[in-house]
Amino acid sequence: MINPQDLCTRARDLLASGEVRAVVGYRRGSRGMAAEPVVITKPEEAASLVWDPSCVHNLALYLVADRKRLAHLHQTPGKPIAIVAKGCDARALVVLMQENYFKREEVYILGVSCESTGVWDDQKLMQRLGCDSQSLTGGRFDGDDFVVTTATGEQRISAPECMADRCLECRHPFPTMNNVVLGEEKARTLAAPFAALSRFEEATGTQPARWAFWQRQFERCIRCFACRSVCPMCYCEECIVDSITFTVALDTTAAEKANRVRWIQRSATRSENIGYHMTRALHLAGRCIDCGECERVCPVHIPLRLLNNKLEKESREKFGYEPGVSIEIASLVSSFRDDDPNDFIR
Amino acid sequence: MTKKRTGVFVCHCGSNIAATVDVAAVAKAMASEESVVCARDYVYMCSDPGQNAVIQAIKDNQLDSVVVSCCSPNLHEKTFRDNAKSAGLNSFTCEIANIREQCSWVHKDRGQATEKAIRISRSAVRRAGRNLALEPIAVGVTRRVLVVGGGIAGIQASLDLANAGFEVVLVEKNATIGGHMIQLSETFPTLDCSQCILSPKMVEVSRHPKITLMTSSEVEEVSGYIGNFKAKIRSKPMYVDPDKCKICDDCSQVCPVVVPNQYDLGVSARRAIYIPYAQAIPASYTLDEASCLGLNPVVCGKCKDVCEAGAIDYDVQPRTVIEDVGAVVLATGFDLYGQDHLGSYGLGQYEDVLDGLQFERLCSASGPTKGHVLRPSDHKEPKDVVFIQCVGSRDPARHCSYCSKICCMYTAKHARLYKHHVPDGRAYVFYIDIRSGGKGYEEFVQRTMEDDGTLYLRGRVSSIYEDNGKIRVFGNDTLSGQNVEIEADMVVLALAMQPSTGTAEIAKILKVGRDKDGFLAEAHPKLRPVESVTAGIFLAGAAQGPKDIPETVSQASAAAAKVIMLLSQPQLTHSPMVARVRSRLCTGCEMCVDACPYDAIRLENGKAVVNDVLCEGCGTCSATCVRAAIEVKNATPLQMQEMIGAVLNF
Repeated sequence: MINPQDLCTRARDLLASGEVRAVVGYRRGSRGMAAEPVVITKPEEAASLVWDPSCVHNLALYLVADRKRLAHLHQTPGKPIAIVAKGCDARALVVLMQENYFKREEVYILGVSCESTGVWDDQKLMQRLGCDSQSLTGGRFDGDDFVVTTATGEQRISAPECMADRCLECRHPFPTMNNVVLGEEKARTLAAPFAALSRFEEATGTQPARWAFWQRQFERCIRCFACRSVCPMCYCEECIVDSITFTVALDTTAAEKANRVRWIQRSATRSENIGYHMTRALHLAGRCIDCGECERVCPVHIPLRLLNNKLEKESREKFGYEPGVSIEIASLVSSFRDDDPNDFIR
Repeated sequence: MTKKRTGVFVCHCGSNIAATVDVAAVAKAMASEESVVCARDYVYMCSDPGQNAVIQAIKDNQLDSVVVSCCSPNLHEKTFRDNAKSAGLNSFTCEIANIREQCSWVHKDRGQATEKAIRISRSAVRRAGRNLALEPIAVGVTRRVLVVGGGIAGIQASLDLANAGFEVVLVEKNATIGGHMIQLSETFPTLDCSQCILSPKMVEVSRHPKITLMTSSEVEEVSGYIGNFKAKIRSKPMYVDPDKCKICDDCSQVCPVVVPNQYDLGVSARRAIYIPYAQAIPASYTLDEASCLGLNPVVCGKCKDVCEAGAIDYDVQPRTVIEDVGAVVLATGFDLYGQDHLGSYGLGQYEDVLDGLQFERLCSASGPTKGHVLRPSDHKEPKDVVFIQCVGSRDPARHCSYCSKICCMYTAKHARLYKHHVPDGRAYVFYIDIRSGGKGYEEFVQRTMEDDGTLYLRGRVSSIYEDNGKIRVFGNDTLSGQNVEIEADMVVLALAMQPSTGTAEIAKILKVGRDKDGFLAEAHPKLRPVESVTAGIFLAGAAQGPKDIPETVSQASAAAAKVIMLLSQPQLTHSPMVARVRSRLCTGCEMCVDACPYDAIRLENGKAVVNDVLCEGCGTCSATCVRAAIEVKNATPLQMQEMIGAVLNF
């Protein structure tokens, strides 16, 4: 089991020695005991870092933000940034490095193992406790359980009861790529991979039924783009699905501005929403590492993980490809092998 | 800048298009398009008056872009782009709308076909509207040629090229050139000795100052593009220095290892150190690494001890060289369909059931029996010989569906050769049809039947088994309707031809396509029969499909002529429709670098950079890039979007 104090010590030492220029981690937020992401640059701030089941965020996003900020300032990255990374976060880093978004030596990975559990799902937990997140004052890992503190005192909950779906289906709760890792690598016997997807496919049955389901879901999308904003893989300067992100540089001509391609209209109508979500899903094929952040942040609760899981499953079954495994291998869509199956091409 | 004055020219193609598509309606619909200032139809747009009309219309209407709705751009894109150019436009402002192959030929309903032709034409108008004026890219050319395969096809192509003044690198996998032709006894239809007509050419290859001969070598890797290939060639060591070897045969006398001789197709044996045959080129013994006791003087070393010339060296290492060439001729030849597939005919099971090539060796004066036809089992002269045609050919259910083309002729030749060697013998031929198209071929078969008294039985053989020193052949004579049983001394099978082993690999290395049977695919079955689908790579001989010697030689010379035409140009031009990186959007993820089948993209300062000369404009990079940071000139996402819009009537 990880002692959160070890994390603070590591972070403090890294900053004190000047080995890293910042540490991206979690601290206590303003809403109950829920953690929030933080970037610290001074050794004395290290004491504020926490590690508990509310550390749900994929912090790889903040490295992407740092890279974008530096690019806009025309600065080159100096010393590495340290990042607290769970198994899924580390896989995201692998994909980003595979895509040369940053180099391995530019990141110091402070790995944290989820061991035999994972992070919790806020909604599941609140439902279980029958209170709101404000009244939750404490929470920690304890073996296979979560221990939470509310007004009525401390209580122990079996982790699988309240764990996030993505954690229940996680195959790699250990950050394989790391500079240092806290906690042990433990074998897991939780739900089968793609369990939610299988349940969904069974429940919807036929293709028309599935299509009807997705049409209903996308009908509700308000195009707030929270899913895109929270995704560490959605780092394109210019997103092809909306015209707001059109990047204008000094050399952008009037003709270029006038002639930009609008594949999808801005209106949040069903057809345009479908275009947006399907394009995003396809652009994540072989890249999504199932951190589940898109689904977590969706204000209208569209089960986005199902879409990404479907593509992950296809690429796994058809091409034996698993994203986030190694920096060395070529990504799914850019690699071709002679023995790739092609029976689906007619 | 968007084009404002487009001209549309709709071709009837006689009735090819006009019978299914209302061409006048297409022209009328195009005339109402915003940017179109002139639209007309004509019976044959590619005819001289048709082309002149296009040129005149461009001048009269001050057109800035042209769309021709006609056949596939493969056929007339060049014609009309040249027209645009001669009328003073940039040739890349001309686009083709394919309303024949993609419309009139595949549809029946006139109304629907017309509507589709309108949409296809409209999408081409939109595309042409945004086409940039491009200039072809000029590239230099290396005036050297790589020929792969040292059979008659490779030899002929090499000699033609070398005699035209080009340097040739001839690569052969085996220890000697000559291929299958050198194994043959006599050749149809004139029955001249195969070795006698081939060996002068082999000698010429070995002595030609322009030809670098690399035997025991294989092409490992080819990079580059038409006019500028780099070929990595790996040579296995022969362990005998051809310059020192005096062909005295002392070494093979002392060699303790005996293995089947592949040159005689296993009918005879050889030593581990051997010369494939007397006329081998290079004229030298060679040491077969696989069967030698280990290239180790401690274990054996007898050949090295006995060699007075000091030609043997066990320590020679494999050698890899890189050759710069401008073109490649693939002449990798054929192999027989093989006994693995044909156990039911007793091949490989009974000693006296032979394939055609083995029988050639038995007839050959240089063969294991010194030209006497003796059966392998007991070295007696066979008196009844059964020849079976179409073994493995024309049998789509179990074997090859194609006709191997040469078997009818070589079986007739075998029967004649046999009758000439054993005049009192009886020759039987089982056949399905006799296919003897070719100069002097039919007469040859007739002589086999009439002059040499060969009995031709029309029908398939049902079973073959050995019984008491005889081979019993059961078959059916479909002309008389009777079952036939022959007690034969020997059976010769006319096996199908198949692409030689390694054809699949070399096709992969050179990125040339193969057809459904595994033969190398030509670019067009009628009009480009010696060109592969990859520019700068040409095909010769049986690697492209079953063919006999005269045809092989013609194709080899044709391939050589094509290469000469290519390499005689001062410089080559490359299509300027290549990929372009939108640097601002590129994040340097390298996916396009991995995906590019032509190795045309590399990363420079964290951004993708395209080598215009290597790029073929295939668009794979554009499809792979999730950031839309790379696009193909004149096929940009904006153009695609507008074309889709045009097709969907947006």
